[in-house]
Amino acid sequence: MVRNRNNYYMQVKSLLVAFLLFLSLNLFAQPSGKPLSLEGAKGESLFKLNCVSCHAMNAKLVGPALQNVHQRRSEEWLLKWIKNNEKLRASGDKDAIAVYNENGKSAMNVFENLSDDQIKSIITYFKDWTPAAKVVAAGGTSPEADQGFFSDNTLYILLFLIIILAVVLLILRRTKNQLQSTLNEVDGIVENEVAEPTASQSKMAAFKKKSNPTIVKLLVGTLVALCLAVYGYNFGATEIAVQQGYAPEQPIKFSHKIHAGDYKMDCRYCHTTVEKSKQASVPSVNTCMNCHKGVQLRERYDGEISPEIKKIYAAMDYDPDKPNGQQFGPNPKPIKWIRVHNLPDHAFFNHSMHVKGVGLTCQTCHGPVQAMPVIQQYATLQMGWCINCHRERNIDVENNPYYEKLHEKIKADKNNKNSNYSKYYTKDGKINVTAAQNGALECSKCHY
Amino acid sequence: MKQNIFIIIGVALVTSLSSCWMKSGGNDTGYEYAPDMYYSKGYEPMSQFSDSSKYRYNPYFMTMREPVKGSVAIGQLDYQYPFDNTPEGYEAAGASLQMPGLTLNEHIEGERLYGIYCSVCHGEKGGNDGSVSSKQATLKPSWANYQDKYVKELPVGKIYHTITYGKNNMGSYASAVTPKDRWAIIAYVKRLSMMDSLGNMPKAVYIESAPVAAALVADTTKKAEPATHANSSSSTSNHSNHNKH
Repeated sequence: MVRNRNNYYMQVKSLLVAFLLFLSLNLFAQPSGKPLSLEGAKGESLFKLNCVSCHAMNAKLVGPALQNVHQRRSEEWLLKWIKNNEKLRASGDKDAIAVYNENGKSAMNVFENLSDDQIKSIITYFKDWTPAAKVVAAGGTSPEADQGFFSDNTLYILLFLIIILAVVLLILRRTKNQLQSTLNEVDGIVENEVAEPTASQSKMAAFKKKSNPTIVKLLVGTLVALCLAVYGYNFGATEIAVQQGYAPEQPIKFSHKIHAGDYKMDCRYCHTTVEKSKQASVPSVNTCMNCHKGVQLRERYDGEISPEIKKIYAAMDYDPDKPNGQQFGPNPKPIKWIRVHNLPDHAFFNHSMHVKGVGLTCQTCHGPVQAMPVIQQYATLQMGWCINCHRERNIDVENNPYYEKLHEKIKADKNNKNSNYSKYYTKDGKINVTAAQNGALECSKCHY
Repeated sequence: MKQNIFIIIGVALVTSLSSCWMKSGGNDTGYEYAPDMYYSKGYEPMSQFSDSSKYRYNPYFMTMREPVKGSVAIGQLDYQYPFDNTPEGYEAAGASLQMPGLTLNEHIEGERLYGIYCSVCHGEKGGNDGSVSSKQATLKPSWANYQDKYVKELPVGKIYHTITYGKNNMGSYASAVTPKDRWAIIAYVKRLSMMDSLGNMPKAVYIESAPVAAALVADTTKKAEPATHANSSSSTSNHSNHNKH
């Protein structure tokens, strides 16, 4: 049954995803509302190849929005500008210099490789292009629609329904019994009310007679105390100050699944200091802007910038309609991310030692971050968890340059049984180094 | 007797339920013991608080601070980077900056760092087909690939300037990549641009030990620094004595 349900769920979901993908693919290329002419279609493919990294039709990116540009400028001017804007500017053309200054003095690339015909077909594309109709743009690509058929609340709703059904069942049963007994009365059937005591009941009575009430109370009391003690120990050991599963709502709905999972970005792209410092830094906002100056997801939000990306712009004090080269606004404000992994002050932990030194992957401790839409604490971060790893994990000293010296010493003392390094050899003569052997169980390594 | 059983069941129910309430998850950190140890009175990195009475010295009540004006971090080579973020600065950097000599380890590090910071857009082999740029058209560079004539002839100084300040849709990587690492990355980019159609790259030209002075630094204060920093793990290698006894 479960399999079937899963299959059904997968089918529904994959259909939905396929539908959404279809929609987003269509929307992605800033579709024209009206169908394009043949020449315009040629222009569109050229536009996508050469221009989209800096231009959009209805939004300003690095360069200005190109909607109606054929009305603003003459075709002759456009030809000259696209082909070699530097030459045009050097010739003292006022419009050209004005455009250059308006766009933060970042020069447009030179396109000497495009022929006049090709540029003309791009201009035809500009003429053909009309904004996509709103109905299409709103077509179900809202973030809510991505959740599919089942949501987090499905389980609760089902449980609630089950409870209600059970209650209804009980009530019906009772009513039925009552009706039955009334019917019996009417029919004159007398129930045998004094039943013989069953075997267990008589045993219970015997037990009651024999046992001393004080002892019974004591026994029950001990049982309760035991339960509480076990519960208390369990609670203290596994729950107090253990923040496993903590997944706070962050100021921006940043998804590690999209960035690290779908886009396969390296963790270190953003958390740059993880190899250099004790801390794995939370990136400054300019790191977000590396991509999000261009990626605005307008196609998903009806031509508007995504509300979450707007928060980045607000933090950077950046006006996407007036980009100014590489400059951002004068009043940037930090984003107040909420810290998830937090060690108490009395425990020392160094990221660079574990990542650069030993060569652990981030996922060893942080779990499958690339699959987490909301970041959560994966490990318990308890001391026992640290110690286990220090005891059990083998360190690859042979291929890790960080352990070069240690490896040489171990190799040199291979046959010297009195040497300190002999402990690194297993019985069959293989090198087996754990952090524990290197002193990683000493209290003062982490607590000082 | 019956009452006692009810008491036991009741206690068990309440305790098991309460353990659900106190568990961490969602916005809840769960039950905490000695919270002073978790929310430090001292400044901790990566922590921000709205308690303005405690964090009154920093803007926005955050613990991250900008470096003191005029201070230079160890290994920060380009604190005297003389060129402005202008088209003129770009040209000037292209005309005057030279590639410093790199050790073999620095070359290897450059390739690794390229894989982290650059390949998401520029592709693993410079084909502009990275995992991000192949899905987001606005992040695709306007030239075809690194084997393009444009990159082959691009002066290293201009690349350095671009990494430092950004250009067009590319942002500044100055906060992520140190000046030394920038040169290591540029060396790899230049080797990529010379890659032939079979994927063969020219071998890296390296020196035995890195000189203290890199391209544009006339820094007399750093003579005490040892000349051989084999790779950029200098910060971790400080720990080696400490950890390996």
